[in-house]
Amino acid sequence: MIILVENLQKRYDWHTALDGLDFSVEEGDIFGFLGPNGAGKTTTIRILTGITRADSGRVLIDGHNVNTESAEIKKIINAFPESSGYYEWMTAYEYLEFFSHLYNEKRLRRETCKLIESVGLQGKENHLIYTFSRGMKQRLGIARALINRPRILFLDEPANGLDPKGRKDIHDLLINLNREHGTTIFLSTHLLDDVERLCNRIAIINFGKIVRTGDVKKIEGKGTIEDIFFLSTQGGAP
Amino acid sequence: MKTAFIMQKEIRESILTPKGFLWYILTSVILSVLSYLFLTNRELSLLDQGTMLYMIMNFITALGVLMGLVLGADAFAGEIERGTLEALFLSPVKRREIAAGKLCAVLTNWGIIFAISLPYLYIVGKGGQNLLPGILYLGVLGTLLSLIFSAFSMGLSARIKSMKNSLIISFFIFLLAGAPIFLSAALRRTWFGRIFDLLNPFADAVNTFDSVVIDSQGLSYQTGRVAIICIYTLLCIWFLKRSAAKVQM
Repeated sequence: MIILVENLQKRYDWHTALDGLDFSVEEGDIFGFLGPNGAGKTTTIRILTGITRADSGRVLIDGHNVNTESAEIKKIINAFPESSGYYEWMTAYEYLEFFSHLYNEKRLRRETCKLIESVGLQGKENHLIYTFSRGMKQRLGIARALINRPRILFLDEPANGLDPKGRKDIHDLLINLNREHGTTIFLSTHLLDDVERLCNRIAIINFGKIVRTGDVKKIEGKGTIEDIFFLSTQGGAP
Repeated sequence: MKTAFIMQKEIRESILTPKGFLWYILTSVILSVLSYLFLTNRELSLLDQGTMLYMIMNFITALGVLMGLVLGADAFAGEIERGTLEALFLSPVKRREIAAGKLCAVLTNWGIIFAISLPYLYIVGKGGQNLLPGILYLGVLGTLLSLIFSAFSMGLSARIKSMKNSLIISFFIFLLAGAPIFLSAALRRTWFGRIFDLLNPFADAVNTFDSVVIDSQGLSYQTGRVAIICIYTLLCIWFLKRSAAKVQM
């Protein structure tokens, strides 16, 4: 397995965000991470990507401990955070170039343009980011998350703010990444359509605990994803 | 190398956004007005060249310190609030490299302000005997003070994670540091005033300028105060390093 999470705990002052989280993700999965607002999805992604430290528990990414081997992990992962901001005074090209430099990627201009094109922003390379719509910024954020050709891609609500065509484009891009390059995708979302369309395995989190996990096909045999989600998260958000 | 890219990004941001550019314009306008008053106002023009130079040096230092505090307050807290820090943290850049890049950018901004002030210093201080040592001391101590206050403010911004609160505390620190300018000479001669003057790096710099430009004293008279400023510099860089390592989203 490429991601292993054991007994993960995280508290913010008096609020328990994660309460003994356990799950694993196999290499090549498109893993749907579902849960109501405030269930602990973003905290989990932040801990898995090394941005936040857990209070206790263990996270292994491709066998590397997230607390002690973050340099190794950062080479093989990337993420698109939910509340992603942008250097709005840069052009789309400059933004990706800046992050390429941080990854020591010596990228040719046409490669960066190709990346921009792959997220549907062709012709916008030299436009300032502040002129972009929310959906365009989302696409640029996803392009940034692909800059180091990650083996594991964490996406936190990537389809938020996208129109139906934008969503379909992102779906196609993710399916292509998974099939062509074998990228493992960890998709946090509450858009159940996205899960049904993209994911082969899911975990449902509520009150900081995994309440359901398994193969989408097996789960679908027992009802729709929507039914299972509402059944598992009765009681709503903490 | 990554520090250089962060620094480059910060400098571009300073120049392309009002964040830094405003300081350059503000410096030019205020120094122009001050110099004009020094040279044309009947009462002010009676001051000797050394005093005029000393006053303008204090002003440039205060501006550099204030800029360092404001840019420092924005360094981490501002990026967290704008949602841009997470992407930086995801990339394989050490937090101390990010902090170093931001600190170097603030120093570059101070360098630009210092460069802008040079013609004004020349105009106000020309003919006086201590113009060159004055400029030299301003360059060195101004850089150290800029380092002290920006590193402190950045460390604070990394710990507090709120730009508003970092700014409020930074302004308070600025007022505290600038107190020697507001305190009367009598108060500064009391035991409290003397200790405060000695322990306050801004006061140490101002007193050094006084000693160099007005009293024409050499380096041996300045070593104590300069040593204190150097100790503060090391302490604040250490504080920033510790704070940057602890930033969490």
